[in-house]
Amino acid sequence: MDPITFSIIRHRLYRVIDEAVITLKHVSGSAITNEGHDLMVSLYRADGSLLMGGVGFLHHLTSAAEACKSIIRRFEGRIDEGDVFLTNCPYTAALHTSDVYLVAPIHYDGKLVAWSACFVHVYDIGAMVPGGFSPDSRDIFTEGFSSPGLKLVEQGEMNHDIMDTLLNMVRAPEMVALDLSSMIASNNVARERMVALVHKYGPEAVDQACQMLVDQSEESFRERLRELPDGRWESRQYFDIEDETYRVLLAMTKKDDTLTFDFTGSSEQSKYGINCAYWAAWGGFFAPLFPLLCYDITWNDGVLRPISMIAPEGTIVNCTRPAPISLATVGAIQSVNNAACICISKMLSASEKYAKEATAVWHGSHFAIFMFGQNQKGQEAIGIMTETFGGAGGGRSFADGVDVGGEIPNPIGRMANVETTENHFPVRYLFRRATIDSGGPGKYRGGTGLEYAIQQHDSPDGGIHYVVSGKGTKFSMSDGLGGGYPGAPCNYRWVHNNEAAAEGKNVNPFATSTEQMTGEQESVSWGVYPLMDQDVLYVRSDGGGGYGDPLAREPERLARDVRHGSVSAGVARRVYGVVLDAAGEVDTAASEAAREAIRAARLSQAAAE
Amino acid sequence: MGNSASQSYVVATDVGGTCTDTIVFSPGEPLYLGKALSTPPNFAEGVMNSIRSAADTMGLSFAELFARTSLFVHGSTVVDNTLLTRDGARTGLLTTEGFEDTLLITRGAYGRWGGLSEDGIKHPVATDRAEPLVPGERIQGLPERVDYKGAILRALDVEATEKAVRHLVEDKGVEALAVCLLWSFYNTAHERAVRDVIERVAPGTYVSLSSDIAPVPGEYERTSTTVINAYAGNIAAAYLNNLQELLTAEGYSGPLLVMQGYGGLLPAKEAAGRAVGMIECGPAAGVIGSRYLGHVMDDGDVIAADMGGTTFKVGVIQGGEFDYAREPMVDRFHYVAPKIEVISIGAGGGSIISLDPRTKVPSVGPRSAGARPGPICYGQGGEEPTLTDVMILVGYMNPENFLGGSITLDIERARTIFKEKIADPLGLGVEEAAIGIYRIAAAQITDLIHEITVERGLDPRDFVLHAFGGSCPLVCGIFGAELNVKRIVIPYTASVNCAFGLVSADIVHEYSVTKTLPVPSAAEEINAIYAPMLENAQAQLAAEGFDESGTAFDWSIDLRYGRQVHEVTTPVRGETPVSEESLAALVDDFEALYERKYGKGSAYRAAGMEMTMFRLTARGLMKRPEIEKLALGGKDASAAKTGRRPIFVEAAGELVESDIYDFERLTPGNEITGPAVIHTPITTIVLQDKQTGHLDEYRNMVIHFT
Amino acid sequence: MSARISASLVVNDSGEIACMSCGHALGPSGQPWKNAATLSETPLQGAAGEPYSNAANVLLRKFYCPSCATLLDSESALEEDPFLNDVVHI
Repeated sequence: MDPITFSIIRHRLYRVIDEAVITLKHVSGSAITNEGHDLMVSLYRADGSLLMGGVGFLHHLTSAAEACKSIIRRFEGRIDEGDVFLTNCPYTAALHTSDVYLVAPIHYDGKLVAWSACFVHVYDIGAMVPGGFSPDSRDIFTEGFSSPGLKLVEQGEMNHDIMDTLLNMVRAPEMVALDLSSMIASNNVARERMVALVHKYGPEAVDQACQMLVDQSEESFRERLRELPDGRWESRQYFDIEDETYRVLLAMTKKDDTLTFDFTGSSEQSKYGINCAYWAAWGGFFAPLFPLLCYDITWNDGVLRPISMIAPEGTIVNCTRPAPISLATVGAIQSVNNAACICISKMLSASEKYAKEATAVWHGSHFAIFMFGQNQKGQEAIGIMTETFGGAGGGRSFADGVDVGGEIPNPIGRMANVETTENHFPVRYLFRRATIDSGGPGKYRGGTGLEYAIQQHDSPDGGIHYVVSGKGTKFSMSDGLGGGYPGAPCNYRWVHNNEAAAEGKNVNPFATSTEQMTGEQESVSWGVYPLMDQDVLYVRSDGGGGYGDPLAREPERLARDVRHGSVSAGVARRVYGVVLDAAGEVDTAASEAAREAIRAARLSQAAAE
Repeated sequence: MGNSASQSYVVATDVGGTCTDTIVFSPGEPLYLGKALSTPPNFAEGVMNSIRSAADTMGLSFAELFARTSLFVHGSTVVDNTLLTRDGARTGLLTTEGFEDTLLITRGAYGRWGGLSEDGIKHPVATDRAEPLVPGERIQGLPERVDYKGAILRALDVEATEKAVRHLVEDKGVEALAVCLLWSFYNTAHERAVRDVIERVAPGTYVSLSSDIAPVPGEYERTSTTVINAYAGNIAAAYLNNLQELLTAEGYSGPLLVMQGYGGLLPAKEAAGRAVGMIECGPAAGVIGSRYLGHVMDDGDVIAADMGGTTFKVGVIQGGEFDYAREPMVDRFHYVAPKIEVISIGAGGGSIISLDPRTKVPSVGPRSAGARPGPICYGQGGEEPTLTDVMILVGYMNPENFLGGSITLDIERARTIFKEKIADPLGLGVEEAAIGIYRIAAAQITDLIHEITVERGLDPRDFVLHAFGGSCPLVCGIFGAELNVKRIVIPYTASVNCAFGLVSADIVHEYSVTKTLPVPSAAEEINAIYAPMLENAQAQLAAEGFDESGTAFDWSIDLRYGRQVHEVTTPVRGETPVSEESLAALVDDFEALYERKYGKGSAYRAAGMEMTMFRLTARGLMKRPEIEKLALGGKDASAAKTGRRPIFVEAAGELVESDIYDFERLTPGNEITGPAVIHTPITTIVLQDKQTGHLDEYRNMVIHFT
Repeated sequence: MSARISASLVVNDSGEIACMSCGHALGPSGQPWKNAATLSETPLQGAAGEPYSNAANVLLRKFYCPSCATLLDSESALEEDPFLNDVVHI
């Protein structure tokens, strides 16, 4: 196929996905979809292999391929033009029940030519807890509606029995109906545009272009792998749930033009729903792989071909049914992301040419806090606190991590304005800011993470409830790179102001820091909690991992950090060995002495340990 | 206003990135055009040069021209330029205590990926936020708090405010202050009190309040907007004052009106206080000009396309209305001033053609060779093939007669370099490769226009395409055909389209009140919201010299479905103040608009509806230019034919010998059957097969599909 | 000519892994090197600023060059867990 036609068809394929994403966001109108961008739309070949992955939540690109393939297997002979299939079973392909896949075949002239697939995190899925993250579930049976594959729309006609049954099982069915409508509309647009494209260029030409796209991606990716040295790199992620500690171990081996991700040694599956299933682990490491290794290559099956995975059954990265799994996307999958980010970055760091593509971990914990209750307008409100999409960038070989700079698996997420949240939920923010000293120290430090505090405001029931499924409090999940320290861990606190008030203590309703709060501060991390009256929920998100030796950081940068409030003078001195004078300028002599002393201590103190 | 009984000129000058264009019009006379190079950072110089150039064509001196000028209308990139060069005031920011980081953390990654192409977004490790206009040490939080209802939870601590202001102005040398407090658009009291403090404690500091500049919900975008306004405020004000003085010195004593990004004019005094309003006023003027031309030609549905040296921009007019941009950005900053929606891609005459080193797949742009060194064929040292070089290789440009003969194009040099860098690596002949690149550019443009039409629920087949800019008429025959538009119009004023837009605009004041009301709500309640806005608007327009018959007031209301994020600004049809009937019609219109924009099945009624913003657009109606209507003569265009040469014809897939024409020798009524090329002093028009060009009575070239 | 194998290490002409800053050799290429580095193992809690104060019993292992004290690598670890070992084949 000539490169000109190929260029045009490729460009138009991108537009097909763009339009489908826009449709998804337009029809959905929900905050998690439009602000958090917790969605994905991608195109697949007739056999279900990934043709073109869009920039949504990146874990899903490959698991949706498996969703297509599982639908192809299950419905063989019964796949017709105008059908739309649904699957959200995590033991089939979905990541957890809340992330519902709608998968639709695209036919031209009666022949199956492609598939489109999309997902959103639906408003509710009928699990034990509103919003879909159920810390108390001990098996999949309490995690809501789950289907290994059903035909929701049959040749253009909605199957109302199925729709009614699904909606019968969820809270806020009208919102879930809208989520599903948005996905149907998105698939419709993808189908229309794809059919128009095939009509214009002919099925053979489009098929040829698609094949070229996949082959080119494979060739380009293999070529890049061959440019990188062979090796084996290890990474280890800890995370904490209540009293349990879990490990995700990863050994990534690159040989010639192949890459293997081996999770052997990872913890046994958990009684908590932080496990993930096979296809979720598979999708999980592509989230850093695509942007770190394939930033200039089309994300499709060609990229998958050089990759293999080993994930022992019965571990948290390949749990067996009926293990609970509703928190996979903030649990094991995140650890898979982070571990892969480090291994890939270590490999990139072993190359002069590609060292600049390496990064420490961004917002390793990706925790989720959902709120639910009656809002100030008397409506039932359920929703995620979008601050988790604020994130924190990891340090790089040439620059700091971006403060509150997002996360790798979610390229275009953002958090809601304070005013937006205060308008939909009966809460008032006391503050929201970047947290000083949260970025992992390094030559290039990790980006700072966010901290905020809310209390109830104008709630008809005296308050609301929130679901915390946050890990990363006891361990930092934002690993550093090349010596860089990990970013600071998360922290969630229930500030018991009500109790303090009952004891006659003065409670400051406009505290701008936890120091100014009177109530006892209880660390929480897992479960459903009330937020009533004057009590405050304080959340401190994790920082990004640092890059390189803190003693190598240019002193001038610390002066700027301290001026901007990203690093405290104390940490500047103690960890970075940079001393500032009264005017906040670098005291060169004192800094040199401080760094000398730290170096000496490094060698002697360590010898003493 | 003017002292000549016989002539009363309106002079309009638009400062663009490269050129400053002028139009002078007066009833009964042809439009006079002037052009000069823009002169950043002192744009006023280019303005005067441009006006002089127009005066020269009129055979008048400055003094003579200005003595007869009743109105001067102006659009300028001065604010865009200030942001681009980071040349604004030393600015400080006052926020609600506890939220000082709002501007800096940009809602998370939003400021990091905002404005990036998909290629940039896929490569996060290589991305960063732009340096903020106000660094952290010039931000101070104030003890105060208002809630979502506008209720004051914590009164403003005036003493702390004084301290904060003194610290910023005295210790940090701040010259301009932006003030943005939470929920201030519902309760402006605290922000006004802060301004009082600043005026008392640090008089002379330029102040922008978010409740004045952008009284809409969403504290990040509101803060960013207010900061931009404070940052560029003094520069905009100084620029306009300086311009006013220069004009006065040359004998002009009339008003100075300034174009805003929403397509309306404001008197200079007001524009000077709203620097943020001037952002992207050029493209806005282009759309306004297009709308007016469409109106003259009886076309209410227009796709306005402008292809210059670097970018291809497109805006859409539907039924005489246009959309406002949804998440506007300037450079890499978000802001919330109303701005006419214009989308763009990096595809212009100077766009550089490149091949992916690995796959050899060609791309057009986004990098541009600009005007310097420019395309290879300009002979100014350009070494990289551009779209203009491709145009010359496919036979569209006349090497000897470019820009009226002022430049001779070096076709051989373009051919040699293009062969080496593009054709040979692709394994194609020069012509074949050039044709391919041309087609890629046309396809990218088609896709862009598709985005602003089909994706918004509009069908290009219902639209007329207006083609502006130096490069557009070379390509519009292809993409216009592919989109199946009704016809294409290449306006006579294409070269000065933005200036033309200036003279087609009204004075427009936008007012709004943010308030959430359920649907249905009583008509009286809504009318009560509009009453003070109307009073202000009427007073404002009266002070500007308009009597009632010269004004128009348009109401529109933002509605949304309960718990959905998308809002649609819905015009109120029929009489105002509203009644129960007109409100019912409003709801119907909203639903239709919503479905059109957001797709079938997206309208979700069960969650109910709310009204969230009440807008008033107050116009002071300006006289429109009459475009000179010439007599239509015969169809025979042979007098304008200058010869034949091979040109690329899409239907043939290769170069075919075709007729070449000189625009200057055409007369209204002439018809040219494609394929053909028409050279004009400022551009080249390409007619494809099955296209007929018809010079209408306004000397627009109208292309029909046959 | 030395070839980099990480952000802080190279393989020198003699085929040894060496500190990128000072050239101190740490062992043969293709073998784990951390045992040859100077190790400091301290609780993550207290390793840096206040936000680290709620870290649990996890340690921050820091591997220094025994010669110039440059921090070559770090890892989070529970006491009982082995070093993470990276092997690059040049």
